[in-house]
Amino acid sequence: MTAQEVRLCALLLQEHFGEVVEKVGTHLLRSGALNLRALAHETRTSLDLVKKSLCVLVQHGMCTFGPGRRGPAGPLEYRVSCERILYMLRYPRYIYTAKSLYGDTGELVMEEILQRGQMTMSNTVRTVADRLTQNMEDGQSTDYNDVVTAFSRLVETHFLQRCPPVDTATSKKTVSEVPESPASTITQPSQPENYPDCYKLPQIHLTGRGKRRRSDEDGDVGARVAKKAKLEHTEACGDEGIYWQVNVERFHLHFRHQAIISAVASKLDQTSSEIVRTMLRMSEVTTPANAAYTQAVSANEIFRAVPPSYNISRPILDQYLTLLVDDPMEFVGKAGDSGGGMYVVNLHRALANLARATLESVVQERFGSRSARIFRLLLRKRHLEQKQVEDFAMIPAKEAKDMLYTLLSENLVQLQEIPKTPDHAPSRTFYLYTVNQLPTARLLLQNCYKAVGNLIDRRLFETKENKRHLEKSQRIEAILGSLQASGAEPAQLAEVEEMITAPERQQLEALRHHINKLDSSENQVDETIFLLESYIKSTSCSR
Amino acid sequence: MTDVKVKKESTDVVDIENRIKELCQQFPHGITDQVIQNDMPHVEAQQRAMAINRLLSLGQLDLLRNSNGLLYRLKDTQSASKMKGSDNQEKLVYQIIEDAGDKGIWSRDIRYKSNLPLTEINKILKNLESKKLIKAVKSVAASKKKVYMLYNLQPDRSVTGGAWYSDQDFESEFVEVLNQQCFKFLQSKAEAARDSKQSPMVQRNSSFATSHEVWKYICELGISKVDLSMEDIETILNTLIYDGKVEMTIIAAKEGTVGCVDGQMKLYRGVNPIIQPTGLVKTPCGLCPVFDDCHEGGEISPSTCVYMSEWLDF
Repeated sequence: MTAQEVRLCALLLQEHFGEVVEKVGTHLLRSGALNLRALAHETRTSLDLVKKSLCVLVQHGMCTFGPGRRGPAGPLEYRVSCERILYMLRYPRYIYTAKSLYGDTGELVMEEILQRGQMTMSNTVRTVADRLTQNMEDGQSTDYNDVVTAFSRLVETHFLQRCPPVDTATSKKTVSEVPESPASTITQPSQPENYPDCYKLPQIHLTGRGKRRRSDEDGDVGARVAKKAKLEHTEACGDEGIYWQVNVERFHLHFRHQAIISAVASKLDQTSSEIVRTMLRMSEVTTPANAAYTQAVSANEIFRAVPPSYNISRPILDQYLTLLVDDPMEFVGKAGDSGGGMYVVNLHRALANLARATLESVVQERFGSRSARIFRLLLRKRHLEQKQVEDFAMIPAKEAKDMLYTLLSENLVQLQEIPKTPDHAPSRTFYLYTVNQLPTARLLLQNCYKAVGNLIDRRLFETKENKRHLEKSQRIEAILGSLQASGAEPAQLAEVEEMITAPERQQLEALRHHINKLDSSENQVDETIFLLESYIKSTSCSR
Repeated sequence: MTDVKVKKESTDVVDIENRIKELCQQFPHGITDQVIQNDMPHVEAQQRAMAINRLLSLGQLDLLRNSNGLLYRLKDTQSASKMKGSDNQEKLVYQIIEDAGDKGIWSRDIRYKSNLPLTEINKILKNLESKKLIKAVKSVAASKKKVYMLYNLQPDRSVTGGAWYSDQDFESEFVEVLNQQCFKFLQSKAEAARDSKQSPMVQRNSSFATSHEVWKYICELGISKVDLSMEDIETILNTLIYDGKVEMTIIAAKEGTVGCVDGQMKLYRGVNPIIQPTGLVKTPCGLCPVFDDCHEGGEISPSTCVYMSEWLDF
């Protein structure tokens, strides 16, 4: 990992889990695998705090552990995954996706599980139902059954999965607290998909009875939820020890598909994108996550699966498919002629094209459209001499030279020397300019990490600058709240409200605006990060 | 005795010379050594060579090389008359320039080829220029470099730079205007196709325009003072491809169709970009010129960034 990644990880850890975890996490990031004692010693943190921090990290799937360098008999070593920590940046997007697919309930389920790392189903259902009820008007409540439905649909679509069992004897949490015990020296549970029932819902929840259990032990909120409760099921719900976590890979597949679909929509049209969406949906389950192509589907199958609202007749569908195949972006390929033509979606090709478009867009926005012309030209023609660049791009020699050298100094363009004689004399050497897409994508990815880091830094700075105002407004809101609760006069309330002066109010308003802007930019940059990361990953696994 | 012999020889030489000239007139395409030998079997090779050399040095004969050996040809009288009153050096320089054709030749290269001192060459060049035998043309490749070519020649495209140059300056504005006009044409065509509500295949096919159509459109617009060829328009269309705004397909066409070159027809169509500007460039950091120097706690830092402040207050 790079310095930029570590910096961003540190910022994210601090934001989500506080200073101690940040310290432990960053130290682990920097030094690779460490055992508990070394970690405590090197971070100068008490053993207890280190254990707790590790516990947090393990809980969120960011830390793995296994036998150390000295074999199974030696102390356990811990290792944090930079990648997993960086996924925290994407949490808002996961939650938003869950919301757009499964409504408010889905959003809350996702939010709860992301916040806690892993949860049992019964716990999640209870908390979410409570929260939903709280936001409802008096007299209304959420049935646990609704939440269970949303939860099970998230599981069915593989957005949630069971945490892989760590050890048959010990549960996940206790393992991290007794790290020196030789019993837990199994390999890291990295592939939850390997477990056959990772998407199997525990039976008891489907009966819909355990969900009302909470009402008798909880106070006002629970009582409202379980108005219809019969109060007889106070025993365990039957899913103890079965913890659920968010399947980020599945989300990433979803994001990737969305990116492809929207690219098709803007390149071709809405109907084509709908056809691609259908193809992706059909092959969703059968295609392995890192495959270069989706499973081939026949035109007949596509025809049956396209939503009828689009009203596409068979010949038209064939035409659309031909167009998609003919398109130079090659999002869709033809795999055979059986069944009216077998079609695949070129996932890796699509990612490469999207990444290329991203690079082009960065050059275009940063250096202007003429530099982008040179950049695209080099991407198309691979190797060109300076003179050729000028001629093809139709840019005056002086400007073209300037742009080329700027791009070169920013490492977006590379220079290849080919000497005619062994002495590398400049007059007898070809100087060829070229663009290497993969290294450039890596470079931009690092820039993205730094940019997000900067945005977070700035956000923290803005909050710190306005700390006094924020505290004051919070205090006043608290006073207002308590006054309202005690039934104070409206005049009194107005008086308290006026304690925040107009300029202060303005400043707070500006701060809110700033923070929103920074937040949304973080998410936007994360979209770029996602595209570049997937592209880099796809090229490395196709080799 | 010797005197007589010399005299006799010299008359012989003159005879031979005249005979060679006659032969050359008979065969305007040139004669080989073999022809002369067959014609004058009694003349020794040495004498023949002497005669030929004299003719060559007088500039009355041209030496050419073709597939089956050397070829002698009578120099056309016109150029010979042009060179009347010039000395050998001038002729040499003229010949070098003539050989360079419409590409022209640089004075330094003349010096290398002729082995004459530069001052001498400059004098000769000035002389020839004043006689309107040659002209100097400024090359676009290097603005200070003058190349010389015969007066009646049209300079090559590589020297003048073609339609895109006026007085050695690249007309980038002209190129940009053409670029935009071509794009407008293709785009309107694509839009019309999209609005036609026909089947997708027809829609796509009608959004294509051949380079000939674009060429005609540009010509009819009348924005260009110079005559543009179809190749010129194709180079412009290529820049649009590099701009990512246009796609090109090549289809086979019957020879003789309008806009068809070598049985191929180039079709262009305007396309939409596949993505909007990416998220990174929507932040100030994505466009920051001092991005690499930016560190928390440094002179340039995210907290004190002026770009960021301006952007936040926007």
